Amino acid sequence: MADSAIAFSAKPNFRSEAVGFLTDATLCIGCKACEVACKQWNDLPADNLGPMTGMSYDNTIALGAETWRHVAFIERTADESAIGSPVTWLMLSDVCKHCVNAACMEACPTGAIIRTEFDSVYIQPDICNGCGYCIPACPFGVPQLSAAGAAQKCTMCYDRLRGGLEPACAKACPTESIRFGFVEELYASGVARIAQLRERDVDARLYGDRMLGGTGAIGGLNALFVLNDAPETFNLPAAPDLPQRIVPRAFAATAAAALVLCAAAIAAMQERS
Amino acid sequence: MPGLGSRLGRGGATTFLQDLANSDCIVIMGANMAENHPVGFRFVVQAQERGATVIHVDPRFTRTSALADQHVPLRAGSDMVFLGALIRHVIEGGHYNGEYVRHYTNASALVGDAFRDVEELGGLFSGYVARERRYDPASWAITATPGGQPSKDERGAASDPTLQHPRCVFQVLRRHFARYTPEMVADVCGVEPERFAAVADAIVRNSTPDRTTAFAYAMAWTQHTTGTQMISCCAILQLLLGNVGRPGGGVMALRGHATIQGSTDIPTLFDLLPGYLPMPTTERAHGNLAAYLDDITVDTCGWADAPAYTISLLKAYYGDAAHPANDFGYGYLPQIGGDYSFQQMLIMMRERVIRGLLCMGQNPAVGGQNARLGRRALGQLDWLVLRDAFEIESASFWKDSPEVLAGEIRPEEIGTEVFLMPAALTPEKEGSYTNTQRLMQWHDKAVEPPGDARSEAWFVHRLAQRLRELYADDASPAAAQLRALTWEYPTNAAGDPDLATILTEINGYRVADRSPVSGFDQLRADGSTACGCWIYAGVAPQPGRNRARERDPSGPAALGWGFSWPANRRMLYNRASARPDGSPWSERKAWVWWDDAAGRWVGHDVPDFPVTKPPSYEPPPGARGLAALPGDAPFLMIADGLGQLYVQSALRDGPLPTHYEPWESPVGNHLYPAQPRNPAAIPLEHPENPLQSPQDPAYPHVITTYRLTEHHTGGGMSRYVPWLAELQPEGFAEIDPALAAALSLATGDWVAIVTARGEIRTRALVTARLEPLTVDGRTVHQIGMPWHFGYGGIATGASANDLTALVEDPNSRIHEGKSFACAVRKVLAPGPGAPDRWARDGERGDG
Amino acid sequence: MNERRHHAGDMSQSNRRRSAAPTSPASPYGLPVIRRAHWGWLVVVYFFLGGLSGLSAVVAALASLTRGSAASETVRAGRYLSLAALIPCPLLLILDLRKPARFLNMLRVIKLRSPMSLGVWGLILFSLVSGLGVARQAASDGFLGAGRLAAVTRRLPEQTLAIVTIPLGLFLAGYTGVLLAATAVPLWAKRGLLLGPLFLSSALSGSAAAIAAALAVRRPSHGEVTALARLERIATLAEAALLWGWLTRLGATAKPLMSGGTGRAVRHGAAGAGLALPLVLNATATITPAHWRRSLTLIASALTLLGGFLLRYAIVFGGNRSADDPAAAFALTRAEPRR
Repeated sequence: MADSAIAFSAKPNFRSEAVGFLTDATLCIGCKACEVACKQWNDLPADNLGPMTGMSYDNTIALGAETWRHVAFIERTADESAIGSPVTWLMLSDVCKHCVNAACMEACPTGAIIRTEFDSVYIQPDICNGCGYCIPACPFGVPQLSAAGAAQKCTMCYDRLRGGLEPACAKACPTESIRFGFVEELYASGVARIAQLRERDVDARLYGDRMLGGTGAIGGLNALFVLNDAPETFNLPAAPDLPQRIVPRAFAATAAAALVLCAAAIAAMQERS
Repeated sequence: MPGLGSRLGRGGATTFLQDLANSDCIVIMGANMAENHPVGFRFVVQAQERGATVIHVDPRFTRTSALADQHVPLRAGSDMVFLGALIRHVIEGGHYNGEYVRHYTNASALVGDAFRDVEELGGLFSGYVARERRYDPASWAITATPGGQPSKDERGAASDPTLQHPRCVFQVLRRHFARYTPEMVADVCGVEPERFAAVADAIVRNSTPDRTTAFAYAMAWTQHTTGTQMISCCAILQLLLGNVGRPGGGVMALRGHATIQGSTDIPTLFDLLPGYLPMPTTERAHGNLAAYLDDITVDTCGWADAPAYTISLLKAYYGDAAHPANDFGYGYLPQIGGDYSFQQMLIMMRERVIRGLLCMGQNPAVGGQNARLGRRALGQLDWLVLRDAFEIESASFWKDSPEVLAGEIRPEEIGTEVFLMPAALTPEKEGSYTNTQRLMQWHDKAVEPPGDARSEAWFVHRLAQRLRELYADDASPAAAQLRALTWEYPTNAAGDPDLATILTEINGYRVADRSPVSGFDQLRADGSTACGCWIYAGVAPQPGRNRARERDPSGPAALGWGFSWPANRRMLYNRASARPDGSPWSERKAWVWWDDAAGRWVGHDVPDFPVTKPPSYEPPPGARGLAALPGDAPFLMIADGLGQLYVQSALRDGPLPTHYEPWESPVGNHLYPAQPRNPAAIPLEHPENPLQSPQDPAYPHVITTYRLTEHHTGGGMSRYVPWLAELQPEGFAEIDPALAAALSLATGDWVAIVTARGEIRTRALVTARLEPLTVDGRTVHQIGMPWHFGYGGIATGASANDLTALVEDPNSRIHEGKSFACAVRKVLAPGPGAPDRWARDGERGDG
Repeated sequence: MNERRHHAGDMSQSNRRRSAAPTSPASPYGLPVIRRAHWGWLVVVYFFLGGLSGLSAVVAALASLTRGSAASETVRAGRYLSLAALIPCPLLLILDLRKPARFLNMLRVIKLRSPMSLGVWGLILFSLVSGLGVARQAASDGFLGAGRLAAVTRRLPEQTLAIVTIPLGLFLAGYTGVLLAATAVPLWAKRGLLLGPLFLSSALSGSAAAIAAALAVRRPSHGEVTALARLERIATLAEAALLWGWLTRLGATAKPLMSGGTGRAVRHGAAGAGLALPLVLNATATITPAHWRRSLTLIASALTLLGGFLLRYAIVFGGNRSADDPAAAFALTRAEPRR
């Protein structure tokens, strides 16, 4: 995709060794092979054995401690009230974004969450003590506590990467909706794909990129997505940011309040003497 | 697949999945390819990325529709009108490929004047024998002499190359479909004329010398009482458009599941021997080998060598016990005397004609039609041997079927002795798959099977050995047959018979030195060769070589990847990818062409044609076999080498496809009101198989059954596996919002669905992906129900097959599961006969 | 049906690639965008006690530094109260871990951008320093007897301890606000800069109230009581201002604090019982007879503490409700960057 006419000026500064995913909603057929391949390889238990959710064909609902790939099904009619109006059925395989600056990793008080040599974000299961802070920290709602009490999420099949294999989900995808590779290359093909789709009048956008409002202090995603609708449609935040960006300012504000309150306290206690 | 076999010569997909990527337009009809063939669907996506138009014609908006450029909802069971209207559009608009039609089809042949079309007889062809619900095809013959009988050598037929003669096939066809207008499509299918026009336009635009359109179909064409004719109707359309045998064209038959193609090649079907040789039957003159061979041999095409294939098969079966003096053991073969299709078997089991059943990888308690009757039938057996990975419903029916839970049947009343044998799954055994495109691919054993689980080869090998021991001293003819059988397979350490030896037997070998043959052209009718399945000849051409195990992906046809029968040809009839003069139709669509300098056919594929026969070849008088066909006759397995727009006798319900309503339909037959149903279809009569009348007001809705990506057929391999069960954990029926509103139904509510066979209760999934259609001025609602579910396993639900009927297509004897009529009402609970856990409504909706 | 006809001939676009509806951005099935924390009552109690412990020690230290022996009752009460509130804190934290045996993993690293990591270290340091302060107080009060231990303890530098205690106590009370602010939970993140100050002021009002109650029981000098009353009033007013400012600036994101159980906890608990009533009661106390005054002070203190507790309850549980609300999550991550 090096012949793409798209300028790379907006390219986030990926680490050169970074690998990741490009998941293309326009190619997804909702077969869920990625979900099953992931569970099988990572030996994750089934976590929702009924009843059916009734949310289209989605019965695994969201990413979770035991669901590291999740195929969303978005079933809509153009006019909800009119019978027979055109139906669209969007599908997208969601996954941990392996953020360039990861909120879960920033939040983790034990250092259990690390960045691997592949630039993926990995939770060391033997270190995590189940404090749960990474869970509300993640702007994408990815990590979850397992029944055993440790936070879990996609490892990008770290063991397979170590063995020179691509992650199980990408391997299983029949339509190349999930592509695995160097993020730099995936980004370039993502940009080219967007251009191609827009040529066909598709409202396409690359998620995890500044075109959409960016990812703020997250600094980019190692798991990129080609979307054909607003991110919110796929339950993705349009302009996520790194929650920890507030930390210095919040401490400063707290310190300032502390000074004011102390001064007031001293004044309150001294005035009577 | 007689639909394709009768029109094109071979009952298999004409092309291969990878070739779909070369299409300019892909029409998926009668199939849900993205859901049920997701891996093959990648090539549809590739074609689309290259600019192809993808059209999905289906009652439901499925995952296939979601990717398609256009989804056209039509009433289930009305496909023939849609296809017929496309044929009419192509003929009347002059959109057919005239050169192709004149040279490669029998369009110019003259039909005998005894023939009467359905248009003349109110929905019946001439020759109908009402008392027996069958046709006498004598009057359908193409003939030189008016009113004459069909001759065995059909090339003698008169013809009119101008296609103007009123009795020529082209004109007969034209008149036959004259009333299949867009307005008829609107009335019968519920498809608006604009939408039909858009589809017709896309197909026509993409069916030219430079562009090709492919059709893909699956069970939603086969599972009708008119299923064979739907498929053959598609073949007619593709022949007219000149799309058969060309890259990106053809008819892609998507098979129901893994190696179903293989199990018709080396058949599990009651009426076939390996390689599509007919099973000897008492209904024809098959009393001895000579009579049998005379019946099945066609002198002027590929079937001229049927004696070599048959005698080689007998040599493979009976070895030294097969010799000219005893008709090569022909007498050992059983002769069938009627219909022993799966559905008939159920009735025979129910009536204790059949007393024992070996059930391998099948779950009739869920997957069989009229499963209620099926379970009662299982309960009538003396013994039932099942080989499966889990205790599937067919093994546990005696203790937990709906009939037992509802108290209708008590387990102690069931005398069946059930033996459940643990079966090894694919990665736990070596073997082969022959997939939807006739491609045999070998797989190695990856892990040992757990516990006592064993491969089918292990089981069958031992069963055969034990039977031979058991009958060693028996004087009956059956015992003689068992003793005559060659059964000398070496076994490996695990006790499995050596599959390489079996593969060599299938491939064929010279009896003298046991050296393998490298093609079926080397098979002989003198007993010097043995071959287990002639179409697979060449898969193991040298000792130690297994072409099914080879994996070379290079080249447009990937000829080094696996082995595709026949003779490793990937695209059948590929002689038609060149013009009659042997040059490609266009550079863009070149596939196989005549190289004049080299004096042979060359190209990307193995030519499906004698490689040195020039395009100009004219057969000398008295020529036999392929030599009897001219250089522009691409359909080698048909007596005149031509695509059959009109078949003389190969189909039991007429030479041309005709629209009849499903056996049970809420709608009358617009075209032939007097004949609502296929007059040759076979209803199975049994008190437990009650059938509804046409337009029975008690059953106002259309119901269609289908499959989901997440589950596999009767569920034995998916509903018991937590990873798959969680993806679709419960059975459901899809209901359109308008019907749901009328019934006050919301997603998750329980609905009762009723047919004459009984009532089932399942959850409602209200979705706009199903929409009510306006048919004949009134609204018709369609209900969709996956048929995977049953009472066992992790993912459970009522079985859709408790609703289906035993009624058969007359050609394929396949049931009608894709369109029948039902009633629906809202209920408050899963009802008696449901496992307790189905009533856990309180857990819903609070996540 | 006409609608469908309109689209019948449209072959230019894949169904998949046709954007269906200009619908407002929304999670299709109302599913959460982010995931809620598992935190519940343990964390609420910890937040409450941590704040109380931290600022009780701070009030004691400030009193000791600025008024010396004139505020000895305040100092003593503050130090003991701080200890009492501190003791359950580590236990609560450990119990809240899903793998409590691995609590010590918290001490593998110090991460400046992880308020939880800083908080754990802050709690440990505060425990050490304020523990020494309490020990010195205990020694002075004779609780350690007259042995060598008591003698050594009494020689601890009181002023230095007090000076070190102040920032640590403030940190312990305030970091929890930052901890919540540094998440993706809309309720906590949207106006997260105000959470630390709010928690601080609430901890101060609670601590002042608690110390005042302790003094009321022990009938201390009038001067100390009125000083505490002024302090409590200032802290309460500050808390009220911050709470009002925070809620109004949250806008629609404040929904969980406006409705349901958490809404009632804010309206009736934090604002009504915790802020308004104590102000009224304490004001009333200044003009009522002394024997009434004591009861009013005790009631006001109890209400302040209850209010502080309910405020934390509402914020923690309201945050969880907020996390479940896709509209709130989208509002946070749309258009302009959040403050």
